[in-house]
Amino acid sequence: MTEKRLKVKVFRYNPEVDKEPYYRDYEIPHEKGMSAMDALDYIYQNLDSTIAYYDHAGCSLGICAKCTGRINGVAGLLCQTEIFDETVLEPTNKERVLKDLVMKRDQ
Amino acid sequence: MAEKTIKTDVLVVGGGGAGFRASIAARERGAKVLLLSKGPLARCGASPMAGADFTLDGNSMNKLGREGDTNDSMERVFNDIVSQGWYLNNQRLVEQYVKTAPVLLKDMMDWGMEIKMSDQRMIFTSGTHIMDVLLKKARSVGVDMLADVALLELVTRDGKVTGGLGLDIRTGGFIHFTAKAVVMATGGWHKGFWPNTGMRDLSGEGIAMSNRAGADIGNMEFITFCCNVFYEPPMWLGSIAPYMVSLICGGRLTNSRGEDILEGYDPYVVKTGTMTEWNKSFISYASMREIRDGRRFKNGGVHYSRGDASWDYMKMVASFVFPDWRYKSIDLSPWAKMLENDEPVEVGPAVEYFEGGIVVNERFETGITGLFAAGECALGAFGANRVFSAITEMLVHGKDAGENAGEYAIDSKAGEADGGLLASLMEKAEQPLLKKKGESPPCLRRHIQEMAHKHLGPIRNEAELKEFIGFLEDVKNSQLKDLATAGKSRTYNKEWLDALELPNIVHLLEAAARSALARKESRGVHFREDYPDTDNDSWLVESIVKLKDDTIEVGNRPATVTKMTPPKGKIPYLDMMKKMMKEHSDTGGKH
Ligand SMILES: Cc1cc2nc3c(=O)[nH]c(=O)nc-3n(C[C@H](O)[C@H](O)[C@H](O)COP(=O)(O)OP(=O)(O)OC[C@H]3O[C@@H](n4cnc5c(N)ncnc54)[C@H](O)[C@@H]3O)c2cc1C
Ligand code: FES
Repeated sequence: MTEKRLKVKVFRYNPEVDKEPYYRDYEIPHEKGMSAMDALDYIYQNLDSTIAYYDHAGCSLGICAKCTGRINGVAGLLCQTEIFDETVLEPTNKERVLKDLVMKRDQ
Repeated sequence: MAEKTIKTDVLVVGGGGAGFRASIAARERGAKVLLLSKGPLARCGASPMAGADFTLDGNSMNKLGREGDTNDSMERVFNDIVSQGWYLNNQRLVEQYVKTAPVLLKDMMDWGMEIKMSDQRMIFTSGTHIMDVLLKKARSVGVDMLADVALLELVTRDGKVTGGLGLDIRTGGFIHFTAKAVVMATGGWHKGFWPNTGMRDLSGEGIAMSNRAGADIGNMEFITFCCNVFYEPPMWLGSIAPYMVSLICGGRLTNSRGEDILEGYDPYVVKTGTMTEWNKSFISYASMREIRDGRRFKNGGVHYSRGDASWDYMKMVASFVFPDWRYKSIDLSPWAKMLENDEPVEVGPAVEYFEGGIVVNERFETGITGLFAAGECALGAFGANRVFSAITEMLVHGKDAGENAGEYAIDSKAGEADGGLLASLMEKAEQPLLKKKGESPPCLRRHIQEMAHKHLGPIRNEAELKEFIGFLEDVKNSQLKDLATAGKSRTYNKEWLDALELPNIVHLLEAAARSALARKESRGVHFREDYPDTDNDSWLVESIVKLKDDTIEVGNRPATVTKMTPPKGKIPYLDMMKKMMKEHSDTGGKH
């Protein structure tokens, strides 16, 4: 049996070095019941560890609300939004990006 | 040079319940206080994840205007905590816990804490609510706070704390903190294991850096596993929702052969070990027995289903615990359907709580002058097993530690930091960023976590512990020295943080594995297949870990006994567990 694979397109921008934001595509194995955060964890651990999303103190269970992002254009918690198919992950506000999906602190 | 220097009287490291409560107390003593939180304020660590129960004696509850139980007393609670801890508790700290709990509950109620429900011995609210109450109070008394900042190392001079080196995780800049006193309140180290039930900030630096600075740590082998934690689907992995349902409603646990895994155990142990918090020891043990014997499912767990439990009752309980089948922000409605249809979900034990930690005396002082510790990172009141509330403990001991640290800081002079030492600490921390190529921090971390889950679970033996220690030694001698980040920018560099956390995780895993290997008996949440008896003649001692020239040495000291004399003799583990369960006083309430 061949495992199902998913394309995940992620917004990337490190204002320190990048002139412009860009998107990068990753292909990951799909598991039933996986969240957008599970996909990012897979990418971070296996494909590209330079990716930034707020997880150093994340709960991954919908408690801290620090993983808010846009999943296929819809705002939600990355850790509690299930993904099924091709997925685009972006920050909620592209003007306020610290790095990739991590936002600057609220003032 | 550090990007900036920040001066305070008391530096509190950790933004969970213990850290907040300590900060408030130190500030109320008149000291200038700065609290560091590795994650978002009041939304990181284990505290906001808790249910949460605050437990105290029923008589004091009654005096505070709740129903409580007038037949209950502080002495009874003391006896229950000590017998539940298999007599390894520091009885001085238990006395303090029991005495101060009512005062603390009153404080919390005065500060606006609402109570969702209560029984004879506990009030129940939510961890997020407790944290909101503490945050508001801390702001009102003028505690300074920094979020997304981690302390990397303590700085001491002549055996005295002078502050520490921190990292602003967002900017990647170093911060030099100078302080007269430091309160360590960094919680547990769930991140040493995969899966676990904690938040991702809990990687044990506080315990490890205190040990490096010269403080003893102890009882590191006692690690509580929450039972019936979701092992699937990935989105729910690590959530304790099935644990909560099974604790109140029961249910059925089966192995991959379809057998009921609790059949064959003593019916009294099964009943008490299912419907009270003893389940964390007993069900974790029984599930792990099946898992280790190969009767597991695809994710390495067992099956939980509704079984004979009434669906109406379960629905009623859920409407209270998970209104609309939502737990925090998790939508559990697909699971509700499964429960109704008696379909199983895969669950298993996962690391939830650490009984061991930094050795403190009854003033919460450690072996280093000016360094205090409280909450889950301290070797506290619970001995070999915790059944009573850790939430009560973090508040009670947090307050005492904060008061003592505040008092100490006001009466003492700031020490001079050693500039050379700071420079070398920064240079060391930067290595993974500077190295061009090397070991990937996230890959190595995941490998270590999985090895820890496999070798340092609730059931252990000499061969596996030795194998695990060998693995950790290899990691220490090769991969840890060679960690390199792929991205070199300092801004929110997760790999760098992983690289900085890993040596701490490896240190604590080694301390726990060596302590488990040294303890040649079974007690509390530590079962040795090769030593299946609880040995009260030789092992009523706390394990004490010292770090000498980078080498971990495990010794021990007698348990601190004040009022309750421990039993004698060697008794098979499950018989001893039954005896402990039966020793519970005849008060109502589950704790
Ligand atoms: C899922 C779950 C449910 C639980 N439910 C209950 C319950 O219902 N009842 C109960 O009594 N107990 C419960 N517990 C246990 C209880 O929540 C904890 O023991 C308690 O909250 C610990 O509090 P603490 O303040 O010591 O640590 P934590 O709340 O874990 O806080 C630790 C803090 O230290 C910070 N930190 C860590 N390292 C650093 C560093 N290097 N620099 C700066 N900051 C750092 C963290 O970011 C965090 O802010 C539960 C635990 C879990 C995991
Ligand atoms: S990581 Fe906490 S809500 Fe998603």
